[in-house]
Amino acid sequence: MPPVIDQKNCTQCGKCVDICSEDVFYGSEKKKTPLVTYPEECWHCNACVEVCPAEGAIRLRTPLPMMVCYK
Amino acid sequence: MLAKQVIEADVLCIGGGIAGLMAAIRASELGAKVVVAEKGNTLSSGAGGLGNDHFVCYIPEVHGPDVMPVIEELRRGQLGARLKDLEKTRVWIEHTYDIVKLWDQWGIPMKYRGRYEFAGHAYPGDSYPCHLKYAGKKQKSVLTKEARKRGVKIVNRVMLFELLSDNGIFEAVGLHTREGHLIEFRSKSAILGTGTVARLYQGLTPGWMFNATRPGTLTGDGRIMAYRAGAELFNVETLEHHAGPKYYTRSGQATWVGIVRDPQGKPIGPFLKKPYRKYSDMIIEVNKGLFSEYARSGKGPVYMDCRGISKNDYKYMQHWFAQEGFGAFTDHLKAKGIDLRTNPIEWATYGMRGSCGSVWQDINGQTSIKGLYVAGDETTRSISPAATFGWIAGAHAAKWARNVDAKASTKAKALIKAKASFLSEIMRREEGPDWKEVNIALQQIMSEYAGSIRSESLLEAGHRHLRRLKQEARDTVIAANPHELARVLEVLNLLDLGELVCIAAKERKETRGQHNRMDYAYTNPTLDKYLIVKNVDGQPVTEWR
Repeated sequence: MPPVIDQKNCTQCGKCVDICSEDVFYGSEKKKTPLVTYPEECWHCNACVEVCPAEGAIRLRTPLPMMVCYK
Repeated sequence: MLAKQVIEADVLCIGGGIAGLMAAIRASELGAKVVVAEKGNTLSSGAGGLGNDHFVCYIPEVHGPDVMPVIEELRRGQLGARLKDLEKTRVWIEHTYDIVKLWDQWGIPMKYRGRYEFAGHAYPGDSYPCHLKYAGKKQKSVLTKEARKRGVKIVNRVMLFELLSDNGIFEAVGLHTREGHLIEFRSKSAILGTGTVARLYQGLTPGWMFNATRPGTLTGDGRIMAYRAGAELFNVETLEHHAGPKYYTRSGQATWVGIVRDPQGKPIGPFLKKPYRKYSDMIIEVNKGLFSEYARSGKGPVYMDCRGISKNDYKYMQHWFAQEGFGAFTDHLKAKGIDLRTNPIEWATYGMRGSCGSVWQDINGQTSIKGLYVAGDETTRSISPAATFGWIAGAHAAKWARNVDAKASTKAKALIKAKASFLSEIMRREEGPDWKEVNIALQQIMSEYAGSIRSESLLEAGHRHLRRLKQEARDTVIAANPHELARVLEVLNLLDLGELVCIAAKERKETRGQHNRMDYAYTNPTLDKYLIVKNVDGQPVTEWR
């Protein structure tokens, strides 16, 4: 469920928590790895991924109901 | 729970999207003390939060001195239905070049490789393509910076949910969505730019509610606040839908360089035979419902087929995908090994966006309440008019605030007290449905009784169910924290809007656009008018105009 945070790479800067308009990180504390409290409220805008200064610390996982259908 | 804080301003912008920020910048430039109250964070909020790559623009040196042929051509595309008002359309179009120059100057690149580039949203052979390709990925951070530079105070994480116009002063009540306290806003003028309405109808993935073309946090807060405060709304019964990739909903259909084809590979429309960067397949703008029509009739699925795209056009499309905010979507394609050069993608007609009309407004965005303005999706659902009418509304709001004789409100205290007590009661409850449960129930009713299939008996029954649901929700809904409490307030707003949709849809006894009245299965030319709904002593009253 989006977003997914890799604790190893996260620098706990809180930028993702700050930018998310849906506030999926609600309840996160400063200088701690963010909590993904409301993943189902993610709009997949990618703002958290793009604002993250650390390589590989955050990514979005596409939920199965949103799978792209192709041939 | 009482208002911990009072914030005063000359001009209050409710919603910090493209329109709200443009209004704030303009009003501030004209000397007003401006506050933007934003439910999320202005860096990413609103329909423009993802980014964008098309800005409708009329440039006299490019298009010629006469604006009329440009407007005529523009009306043949997806915005057509909302461009009936010629004067307003002209005002918008004539301002666009100025906005383009401003944005470019501020750091939103409006040129591609040093020149103005027009592509997409146009039919082959069009004489006046006017959808400017621009790099809008960072537009919200640029506008936020420009607003702050001019002294605009931005208050993020506050959901304004009640508005009062009294004694020449606007009083708005907001909930801090993280801290949980109430904030009272006092201003001489207010501009509503809270966007369109999501989460009223079931979307493409009913089990995944926030998967929508617009942010799920846009719940018509401004529109319903305005209604409760006495402002007139119009054409609330209108339904809008959109189309795009299945099941990953995104706007930006014209960013795709491809052909819409049936399962046998035959193009659905007559406009394009081969992908070409200058044109999007306009069959989508002719009929966004075609994807569900094909599926229903067994002829589907329908594909967006980019096969045959040239190497350069593929790069070009990817470049604009990034600006349009497709980052997460393209990452997903990559992760799943889906290559648009070889894999046609299924497309779908997305569920009803439930536009619910707009707040009644004049050419300056002024509503039927003096000093209260609207902009953004309340005007025309596109970035360019949002920017333009935000700018215009900002100027008028600043002027209004300079001249109005504002006195203290006599009603604000009682309103805040009542709201505080209601919210405290919700927070105290230990057991009951949460916002999501209410929202799912609401979407079921709206989709089934007031969706694209409508009739007197369905609407009557749907309205009855909604009233019961609303009462039940008000009496029993719970919230574990301020975040959930804000979601509750959103759903309560949606319930009010849903009721108005039922009332207006009953009144419009004809079929028009997606408003399909099974008991009046024709379009009545004499009803090509605005259907107004307003709050008179707590009761919704309709009127034709």
